[in-house]
Amino acid sequence: MTDTIIQIKNVCKIFGGLIAVNQVNIDVPEKYIYSIIGPNGAGKTTLFNCITGFYIPEKGEILFYGDPIQGLSTNLVAWLGLSRTYQNIRLFTNLTAVENILIGLHPNLKSSWFDAIVHTRSFIKEESGSVKEALRLLDYVGLKGYGDFLAKNLPYGLQRRLEIGRALANQPKVLLLDEPTAGMNLHETAEATHFIKRLRDELGITIILIEHDMKVVMGISDRISVLDYGMKIAEGNAAEIQANPRVIEAYLGPGGAALSEKYKKQRQSYAQSHRS
Amino acid sequence: MNRNLFTTSINKGFTFGIVMIFLVLIDFEVMAATMLSKLLGVNVVRGALPEVRFMIIFLVLYGLFVGWFASSDQEKPAKKLFQALIAGLTVAVVVGLFDIALNQLITTGTDVRAYLAALGPASIKLFLLEKGALGSLLHLGLFTGASLLGSVLKILLKSDPMSHFLKGISTVYRDLRAKTQAITPNWIKEYGKYLLFLLIGLSAFFLPRMWGSYNNYVLGLVGLYVILGIGLNIIVELSGQLMLGFAAFFAMGAYSMALLNAPLPHGIMLGFWPALAIGVLMAVLAAVLLGLPVMGMRGDYLAIVTLGFGEIIRILLKSDLLTDFTGGPRGIQDIKGPTLFGQPFSSDIDYTYIILVFMILSIFIYKRLERSRTGRAWMAVKEDTKVAEATGVNIKNSKLLALCLGAAFAGLAGGIFAARNQFTGPNDHQLMVSMNILSILIVGGINSVPGIILGAFTLKGLPEILREIENYRLLVFGGLLVFMMISRPEGLWPATRPNIEKDEGNRQKAESPPGKGGQHD
Repeated sequence: MTDTIIQIKNVCKIFGGLIAVNQVNIDVPEKYIYSIIGPNGAGKTTLFNCITGFYIPEKGEILFYGDPIQGLSTNLVAWLGLSRTYQNIRLFTNLTAVENILIGLHPNLKSSWFDAIVHTRSFIKEESGSVKEALRLLDYVGLKGYGDFLAKNLPYGLQRRLEIGRALANQPKVLLLDEPTAGMNLHETAEATHFIKRLRDELGITIILIEHDMKVVMGISDRISVLDYGMKIAEGNAAEIQANPRVIEAYLGPGGAALSEKYKKQRQSYAQSHRS
Repeated sequence: MNRNLFTTSINKGFTFGIVMIFLVLIDFEVMAATMLSKLLGVNVVRGALPEVRFMIIFLVLYGLFVGWFASSDQEKPAKKLFQALIAGLTVAVVVGLFDIALNQLITTGTDVRAYLAALGPASIKLFLLEKGALGSLLHLGLFTGASLLGSVLKILLKSDPMSHFLKGISTVYRDLRAKTQAITPNWIKEYGKYLLFLLIGLSAFFLPRMWGSYNNYVLGLVGLYVILGIGLNIIVELSGQLMLGFAAFFAMGAYSMALLNAPLPHGIMLGFWPALAIGVLMAVLAAVLLGLPVMGMRGDYLAIVTLGFGEIIRILLKSDLLTDFTGGPRGIQDIKGPTLFGQPFSSDIDYTYIILVFMILSIFIYKRLERSRTGRAWMAVKEDTKVAEATGVNIKNSKLLALCLGAAFAGLAGGIFAARNQFTGPNDHQLMVSMNILSILIVGGINSVPGIILGAFTLKGLPEILREIENYRLLVFGGLLVFMMISRPEGLWPATRPNIEKDEGNRQKAESPPGKGGQHD
C-alpha cells in the first residue's frame, strides 16, 4: 500500500449545539480518488472546510504527510499543496479566465511590488513564464480561446473547468473537488468524470471528491466514505458501499434496505419478463 | 386613450414639477440663467440679475428635457406627443400653483428671506418673468410648448432616416479609417505611438508657459487630484477596502512639508525635496498604524473606522493641545518651495511641471502594479477575500501593502499641495476632500487611469473654471453621482481587462515566422 497523504483523526466540528462533523477518521492514500458521499447536510463540505483551513476543528487532527495542518491559515494550506473547488462556483468573476489562473499561480511566484515597478529582470522572466504556464493550463482544462473572457461571461460548464484550472495552477498535491458535476447533463458529466481520472493518471494528484451523482462516484472512486449526520457510517470500495445496509438506510430512511431489495427484485423480474 | 400612458406621464410631470420647485427654492434658476447669459456672450455683473430672455431660455431647456424624458422609446409618435403634452401640462400646473403662492408672497410684501436664505423678491420677480401673476400663465405656455417640442425632437432624432444617416456617417468613418490604415507606411504604425508621446510631451512642456497663472493653478489642482485619485484607487478599487478618511494621509504629507519647511513654528527649513520624502514616509507610517488594527474589518465597518481616523487627524491638527506644534486652527504659513539649480522654482507654472512629472510617475507606477502579481492579488482579494486566501494569497500583507502604497501617493500630493499654496491648515483636510476623491473614482471610472483624469477634470477642474456654481457644488455633485449610478454605473471611461491570451498569441506569431503573418491582425 502507498503512503497516506492525508489523515483525518477524530475530527469534530461543532456549530453551537449542532455537531456538523463528529469523530470522523479518514485515511487518504497517495494518488487515490477518494470519494466522500452522504445525504444533504451530512457534513461533507464542512469536512472539506476543515481540511482547507476555512474552519478550525474543535477536536482532532488533520495530518498532511504526517504533519498537523489544522488551524493553519488557508493561504498556508494552499501553499503546502492542497487546493480546492467550491460547491457553488466561486471564481473571480470580473477578471478574465487567464487572470483567474494567474492568481492561482500566486503562491509559486516570488516577485514583489518593487520588482513590478522597476521591472527587474527576474520579474520579466517570471511574468512571461507565468503567462505561458497559465495559457498551458488553460489549454489543459479545455478553455483555449476563452482566455480573455470575463469569468462571469463563461458558460457554466467552462466555469467549473476554469475553477479546476485555477486550483491546478497552485500545483497541488491534493485536489479537493466539491460536487464538480453538479448541474451538468449526462454527456458533460461523462466528460468531467473522464477529466478527473486524467488528472490523477497524468499529473499524479490525489483527489478527494464530494459527489451526489452515484454513477460518477462508483465509476472512478478507489475508495469511498459515507457520512451521515456528521458521522462516518461506512468505508470501502464501490461494491462494498453499494451492499452496505447502513448506507442504504441513510439515503432511503429506516427500512430502506428492505425497500431497495424489493425494488431490485421488481426491476429484475420486469427485465426478465420483457426479455422473454 | 391608454390609462396607463396617462398616469405614468402625470407621474413624470409631477416629479419634474417638484424638482423645478426645489430648484426655485434654492434660487438655482437664477444661477442657471446667469450662466446661460454668459455662455451666449452677455456678461452679468456679480450680484446683478440676468435679463428675462435668459430665464425664458432656461425654462424652455427644462421643458425640452421634460418632453424628451417623458416620451418613451417604444411608443408610436402620436402617443409620444400625447405623453409629452400631459407631462408638460402637469409640470406647468404644479409650477403654476407654486407661482401663484410666490406672487401672493411678494404682493403682500412678506420677507421671504427670513425663511429661505437663497430666495429674494427680485429673483422671484425674475422667475415670474417680470409679469407677476400673469407669469404662471406664461409658464404654462412655455412648459407645455417646450415639452411638445422636446418630444418632436426625440421623434425626429430617433426616426429611421435619422438613424440611417448617423449609421451612414459611422460607416464612412470606418471606411476612411480602414483606408488610411492601409496606406500609412509601416514606420508610422510602428513608431506612431512614440511620436504621439513626443507630441504630448512637447505640448506639456510649452502649453503651461502660454497659459495664465490661474489656468496653471487649476491644471495643477487637477494633477494633484489625479495623483490622489490613483492612490485611493489602489486602496478602494484594486484591493477593495472602502476608505473614507483618505484626507488624513494627505494631511500627513502636507503637514510634514509645512513643519519641516516653514519659518514658523519650528523653523527647521529642511528644504523641499527632503521634506517631500519625509511626508511620503509619514503617510506610509500612518497607514501602517491605521492598517494593523483594522485589517480584519471590511465593508461598512472599515468605512466608519477610516472616516473616524480622518476626522481624528484633522481635529488633532486643530486642537489646542498641539497648537504649539502644528500651529492650531490658523495653520502654517510661508512654506518654502523647491530650488532647482540655484533658481527658486515656485510660480504656478513651475509647480505645473513638478505636478505633471509626479502625475506621470504615479500613472506609470500604477500601471505597472496593476499588471503584476501584486495587482492581481489585490483584485482577487477585492473579488472574493476568502477564495483569494484559499488560492494562496496572504490577505493581511496584501491589504496592508495596498493601504501603504495608496497612502504614499496621498503623502506626495499633500506635500506638493502645501508647498504650492505656501500654506496649509486644518480646513484643507476636511472630510469633503476624501469625498471628492472618492467621487472622482466613481464618476470617472473604476480602475481606469483615463477615467480618473476625466473625473478629476469634471469634479475639480470645471468647478474652478465655472465659479458661478460654487454655491451649488454639492447639489451638482449629488445630482451627478445619482445620474452616473443610473446611466453609467461603470463611470465615464470604464476600465477594460487586458487581453493576455490574444497578446501572447500575437507575440508568438510575430516571433516565430519572420515572413508571414506578423504585420496582419
